[in-house]
Amino acid sequence: MKLDRLILGSNAFEGVSYISRMQSLHYLEFFAKEDNIVPVLEAAVAADVKTFMLSNCRNVMAALKKFARNKELTLLPVIPNAYEYAMEASEKGVLGAVLTKAKGFSMYQKVKLGLRALTKIKSVISKDILDLLLELIHFELASFEKYRLGGVILHGQLTDLALSSRNPDILTIFQDLVRDSYDLEPLLATHNFGILLPQLMEWKIKIPIMAPLNKKGFMMRPSQPECERLVQDSGYQIIAKKVLAGGRLTPEEAFPYLKDKKIDSVVLGIGSVPEAYHTFSVAKSVLKI
Amino acid sequence: MEKEKKVRVGVIGLGKMGILHTALVNMIPQAELAALSDVNKQLARYVEQSGLRAPFFSDLSQMLNEIALDAAFICTPAFANLAVVETCLTKNLSLFVEKPLAHTFEDAKKMAGLVAGKKNVHATGYLFAHMSLFKKAKGLLDTNVIGRIHRFKSSMYTSEVFGRKKGWYYDKAKSGGGAVINIASHLLYLVYWYFGRPTSVFARGRSIYSDGVEDDATALMEFSDGVSGSLDVSWSVPGYRLPYLDLSVEGDNGTLELTNDYIKLYLYKAQKSFPKEWTTIHKIDMPVTSPFELGAEGLYEEDLDFIGHCLDRTPPAVTWQDGLEVQRIIEAIYRSADRQKVIFLNEVD
Repeated sequence: MKLDRLILGSNAFEGVSYISRMQSLHYLEFFAKEDNIVPVLEAAVAADVKTFMLSNCRNVMAALKKFARNKELTLLPVIPNAYEYAMEASEKGVLGAVLTKAKGFSMYQKVKLGLRALTKIKSVISKDILDLLLELIHFELASFEKYRLGGVILHGQLTDLALSSRNPDILTIFQDLVRDSYDLEPLLATHNFGILLPQLMEWKIKIPIMAPLNKKGFMMRPSQPECERLVQDSGYQIIAKKVLAGGRLTPEEAFPYLKDKKIDSVVLGIGSVPEAYHTFSVAKSVLKI
Repeated sequence: MEKEKKVRVGVIGLGKMGILHTALVNMIPQAELAALSDVNKQLARYVEQSGLRAPFFSDLSQMLNEIALDAAFICTPAFANLAVVETCLTKNLSLFVEKPLAHTFEDAKKMAGLVAGKKNVHATGYLFAHMSLFKKAKGLLDTNVIGRIHRFKSSMYTSEVFGRKKGWYYDKAKSGGGAVINIASHLLYLVYWYFGRPTSVFARGRSIYSDGVEDDATALMEFSDGVSGSLDVSWSVPGYRLPYLDLSVEGDNGTLELTNDYIKLYLYKAQKSFPKEWTTIHKIDMPVTSPFELGAEGLYEEDLDFIGHCLDRTPPAVTWQDGLEVQRIIEAIYRSADRQKVIFLNEVD
């Protein structure tokens, strides 16, 4: 799979900050307006960063629609939108959250996905849960059908949940679904890179992985040295995320660490237009892109 | 139990927390996931399809009779906990119960009584005890970096309820209450862990969107050593995508502020290894201590702590006695809000 070296991430647009509540609040407020996301997309494209990793969030999708040069972008959707399901789960339970989402399908989508039975809740419950989840992946991907997709990323919570079952079936099904139904490359996000990768090797699943990799060792499990060893020796396609350690590293501090690592791409969450120009410029200079 | 033996674990209740504990137990080398149980028979298909190699039972008694277990994670709705615990104790299991211990103080007291003086290991799911930043703050307070403590103020907010919601979680008879028992219980554990049991509580609670459970509450607390503190909780504040805690402590030597993201110290003069004035310790800078993470930081450590203590037969980080103390404070808050008067904790028994 050929990926761009630099990828724009959507964490800031979704209000995610690892630094402070104040920054998270600023992101939530500022990027709630899609008009404030569009200039960041423009800055990214102007810097020749044309791959965008995103979740199916209202404001992000609205910005994408408004962005005049959206046809130039290659999207990497992260599915499912785990945050949305988690928020629903406290009221409705895990299964209830999935069913609620399924009930929101339009009649066209139900027919398209063969889900006529969704109007009858009992029929839905009797469906195999994995089948239902796969249909939800179809459903979430339907939001991106007007755009060019470069691959589909399984959300880290799902990847790591599948990993913990110690059974390759879920990941194999995801891989086959994305390849066979969409002719796209599947990717896995994880927060447990050093455990996932050896397991994938044992299962003989060769698939690109997106994982935290940074000078501070932030979120590098089980340890920074073990993750670094696997990056260098595994031969897997690696997309580094959290490279700025959630904002604790400046681009000047962060990118030299990545310079000699065997990584294919770097995902960067960006919180403003000046930050976009600065971060991409330093990344290109240090990583010789 | 010998060190080399694995703890045979059952998970009871396969909602969000049950699924997470199932996954985490499956990743702990010293544990063996031996059985799963939920009253919803449909979840048998989930268990089968997710590849978990453990039998599923919709009947708890049947599971306990057919599968030899050492321990169980109880992740059922709070109102069901006492009955499940009673059933599990017929097999003398060690038990982890997700927070809160029960939906009422009475049930929590019965549960604590059932294990009092017995060798069963019993743990409660107050996650903050296993999070690196909160452990660091505990260490700083215990080593008197900010000196003798005068007072604290604390809050916990999340954006969750902006209209009437359905389900047991929002039904007082089943959950025991609203924002206090479901959200602030984590913060109240921290208050109890850091400052001990309050002597008195004066509280107010309000329902804005919910019917019968409080959406926000404020409490004033006093402690025997002269410390006083306040707590403010709401699950109906916009702009909090996840529950967020803020605890500010004032002492003779300065102040300590603890949030989900950092500890900020302000010292009037250098203390221990900390300089005069500001020091910030970011969570990001704390070393990775957990080999695996799923759901939230600390969950793996929480389960590992319980499993480790099942092997050692020693008390885990958060016992049911600790859980009962948190429940006592919660009960005092509810009584105070209900009766509109100060409640002394020694009267809550």
